[in-house]
Amino acid sequence: MKTDDLIAALAADSAPVAPMAVRGRLALASLVSAAVATAIVLLWLGMRPDIHIAMRTAAFWIKAGYTLSLAACGFALTLRMGRPGARPGPALAVAPAIFAALAALAAVELLLAPAGQRQGDWLGQSWRVCPVLILIVSAPVYLAVVWVLRGMAPTRLRLAGAAAGLLAGGVGASVYGLHCPEMAAAFVVTWYSLGVAACAAVGALLGPRLLRW
Amino acid sequence: MTDEARLKALMLRGLAGDAAAHAALLSAMSGYLRGYFSRRLGAGAADVEDLVQDTLLAIHLRRATYDPAQPFTPWAYAVARYKLLDHFRRVGVRKTVPLEDAGDLFAHENPEEGAVRRDVGKLLDALPARQRQLMRDVKLTGLSMEEAAAKSGMSVTAVKVSVHRGMKTMSGKVRDEDR
Repeated sequence: MKTDDLIAALAADSAPVAPMAVRGRLALASLVSAAVATAIVLLWLGMRPDIHIAMRTAAFWIKAGYTLSLAACGFALTLRMGRPGARPGPALAVAPAIFAALAALAAVELLLAPAGQRQGDWLGQSWRVCPVLILIVSAPVYLAVVWVLRGMAPTRLRLAGAAAGLLAGGVGASVYGLHCPEMAAAFVVTWYSLGVAACAAVGALLGPRLLRW
Repeated sequence: MTDEARLKALMLRGLAGDAAAHAALLSAMSGYLRGYFSRRLGAGAADVEDLVQDTLLAIHLRRATYDPAQPFTPWAYAVARYKLLDHFRRVGVRKTVPLEDAGDLFAHENPEEGAVRRDVGKLLDALPARQRQLMRDVKLTGLSMEEAAAKSGMSVTAVKVSVHRGMKTMSGKVRDEDR
């Protein structure tokens, strides 16, 4: 096909484009897939039986705030890395900063607890399964975010994949919190972070495979 | 108007639905892209035009990823660079392409195609007839070395040597003229 003919064909297809439309698409995809992840948690793992009591504690909301802020971080990074030529810039430092803040809180909490209790607080009942469950619960969110990214134009596929993983992990960990009974900041900052980091790592690995355009 | 200002204005009007502005943008970009890919790929004429069309298509299909608050030319360069790297990946070549080279895409203003053809015609006329025909076949028509060899009845090696010598002669003439 001659290039001039191609240009004419493309020009005929120039309906107006809303540049910020992709943000709405990503938000919608995140919310719908979060609902799917919630259904998975409730049907498969079950809501924690003491949810009404837990929701009155600060620890519950610190946990939710932590995972949701990681999700927000991933959301902003995904939007950014979906554009050609984008560089992550200072945005890369936000997630580690959030982690450091909770780690500081966890350290204080551990120090204030009686010495014999510390290891129990840190490992909880479910340290072995927590990161894996977060990985599983995050999967539908990751797929939805990848679907949105495939309509964008990422030029750094591993970073874009990692951003998608961070968003998915943050959402998945937040939804997982509906089931998980652990409350200690030390537990959350270790095992939840591990789960979210695993999502980001898997996301980065799959990026070059899934995000080409 | 600088290239950036002119192209950004066309891009924004195109995004708003102005088909003529969008066509003008794509036309302008095709000139820049052709020069850029020719410099990066060398003489494989068929590949260059394919890449130009791929990139124009990408610019069109992914135009929603352009943030109007940002400059246009780095965005366009990032698309071109991505397509170039993808091409190298698919043909199995390991090459690095600088991230910060938007100037290489936009610096060379590509002259009218007609003017180029005139100059090239003059240069070709200076060559011996058989070499001239080979140069036309390989460089202008885009035949592969094998096809040109079959057409001329020469061996592939002889064709390669002749084309190489022809390029040297022509670029020598161009250098002389520039002086």
